[in-house]
Amino acid sequence: MELEIINLTKEFKEIIAVDHINLSMKNGVYGLLGVNGAGKTTFMRMLCTLIRPSVGKILCEGKDIFEMDGEYRKILGYLPQEFGFYPDFTVQDYLMYVASIKGIRQTAAKKRTKILLQQVGLSKVQNRKMKKLSGGMKRRVGIAQAMLNNPKILILDEPTAGLDPSERIRFRNLISELSQDRLVLLSTHIVSDIEYIANQILLMQNGKIFHSGTQEEILNEVPIRVWRLDVRKSEVEHWQAMYKVANLKTMPQGAELRILSEQCPDTNAKEEELTLEDVFLYYFGEKAGNNDDVL
Amino acid sequence: MMMYYEIKKIFVKRGNRVALAVLAFAIIVIVYSLVSQTYWVNENGEMETGFGTIRKIKEAKQEWSGSLTENQIARVIEEKNRINATPQHQSEDMRQQEIAYSWTQGFQDITYLLNYAYGDFQTWDYTVADSLTPDMASDFYPNRMKSLKKWLEEEEGGANLFTDKEKAFLMEQYENLETPFFYEYQEGWKNLFQWASGIAMITALVLGFLCAGIFADEFRQKASAIFYSSYHGRGKAIWTKVTAGLLTVTVVYWAAMLAYSAAVLGIFGIEGSNCPIQSTMAGWKSFYQITNGQEYLMILFGGYLGCLFMTGAVMLVSAAAKSSLLAVTIPFLMIILPSLLMSMNSPTLNKILGLLPDQLLQISSVVKYFNLYEIGGEIFGAVPILAAVYLLLTFILIPMMYFTYKKHQVTR
Repeated sequence: MELEIINLTKEFKEIIAVDHINLSMKNGVYGLLGVNGAGKTTFMRMLCTLIRPSVGKILCEGKDIFEMDGEYRKILGYLPQEFGFYPDFTVQDYLMYVASIKGIRQTAAKKRTKILLQQVGLSKVQNRKMKKLSGGMKRRVGIAQAMLNNPKILILDEPTAGLDPSERIRFRNLISELSQDRLVLLSTHIVSDIEYIANQILLMQNGKIFHSGTQEEILNEVPIRVWRLDVRKSEVEHWQAMYKVANLKTMPQGAELRILSEQCPDTNAKEEELTLEDVFLYYFGEKAGNNDDVL
Repeated sequence: MMMYYEIKKIFVKRGNRVALAVLAFAIIVIVYSLVSQTYWVNENGEMETGFGTIRKIKEAKQEWSGSLTENQIARVIEEKNRINATPQHQSEDMRQQEIAYSWTQGFQDITYLLNYAYGDFQTWDYTVADSLTPDMASDFYPNRMKSLKKWLEEEEGGANLFTDKEKAFLMEQYENLETPFFYEYQEGWKNLFQWASGIAMITALVLGFLCAGIFADEFRQKASAIFYSSYHGRGKAIWTKVTAGLLTVTVVYWAAMLAYSAAVLGIFGIEGSNCPIQSTMAGWKSFYQITNGQEYLMILFGGYLGCLFMTGAVMLVSAAAKSSLLAVTIPFLMIILPSLLMSMNSPTLNKILGLLPDQLLQISSVVKYFNLYEIGGEIFGAVPILAAVYLLLTFILIPMMYFTYKKHQVTR
């Protein structure tokens, strides 16, 4: 399965949400990393035929996805960022309805629903109304609906947003499990999601994908090093003004800083291993999401 | 399977269930009020109400059933005069007067017709029948024509309301009406027609409520992204929504109207279906040559078409604006606005109002109005035009809602 994105652009009045993206994706897990407002959701909506591009094309195995129409959507699974559902439907009803609009016959839909409910650990709540589910459970129903048609292309927009740490880990593992033999595009502004499951990372900012590669490639190509430095509390502001500080840990005797810099900032500084989170901070700076999420 | 869940989406909503309960409650209250308003004055001059009176009224009226020939009219006038001459009728004691009234109940419908036939076209004077003699019976049918002709010539009557062609049409319709009328007990139909419009209107409002969310809820509940990104999301799934709406209209409308009809006709009886509508006071002036049974069918199918059109408009707004709140106001506007405008009493405005969709919900009134329209040199009453126009518009609405919904992009 190959998706080829050619010069893809989407303009909303005076805002360019997606700006001339050229990209080719094959089977594997792609992590789309960017801050809020980078254009990730608009890009993904175009991949799901929900929005038509202003300019450019998306080709699936060489065919325009908007011309393929239903034939393309037949191989597509999508979990939107804001996962909407029918609150008065039970989990079972909801999945059966989505199966019907995905063109799955009733008998096959029943079997598939049963398997997926087991896989996402929701068999026991299949008769519970959707509005009575916890946030984590709803996301799991969301991934189950996306997988109903066993899609060759799976697009997940911020699938772990709003989940507590244990739910997030569970969800990440589930996505890894489901990513075999298909093209998975996962958008997030949570670095750890990408670190654990993505084979390829796409960095997006201001509507453009400005960098892509494997985790190693990205870490190797970034022109930055990481330094650990213990300082007095009164010096913290000085160091923050001088350098990008990836982390600040307050200690009884002072503070431990994680500084991003090409050069050694101080003779007492010790070099540490660069992580994806450091890269994220380097590229996206102060806009890099809220602290809780970038864990 | 898709249809099952689409219908389930409508009926699983608590608000929609409440709306259906309101409709059922309205039918029960209306039928109950029809029964409780029915009364019979017994031979002692005492008023009786409730179920038991219906049989007595039926027995009394069936004694006067048959063709309303000159002889029958003369017989009614004779009997009326005989009762008027009794000491009970002339007594000042209310009880005695009630006893005299009790003897007239069997032919009271015919007495009402006499008041129209021998009175002024635009007024109804309940004392007219008291001034008649049996030899005047031969004027009963000719008077219907004469009073219309006179009214159409009067400056303050219909002289300026109609063109010569329209006047000729009305005269011709009156002239062609088959006489003598067949008359029999027809309380079931009279009562049925009394609230048929009310039931159709409440049903239209409830249907608007039920169907307003069919399209808009996908966006309100943020389910549109999954809907449109699915295999059938821009095709069959939308047709299923359209069909689910039409099916809901069909099931709810016919269930409501047939339940109401079955209750009223079951209680009051189905006799009188072959009587012309002119054999009742309410239908005396109508130029439509139809029976009660035919009027009933017109009410049923007119109401169905009206509900289909109004709900279709609701669904179109729901599909276009993605707002169920805006959509649900459509039937209210379609029903309430014309009734507000009607008070302006302008002939031109009345002609326009006579073709608005709310008229389909009140065919029992429409067949009594003189709303005439000239098309291609021919004069038509409002009913056939309403039927043709709204049938066509409903057929146009169906693909419109499909294509309107199909083209949406999910940007939020």
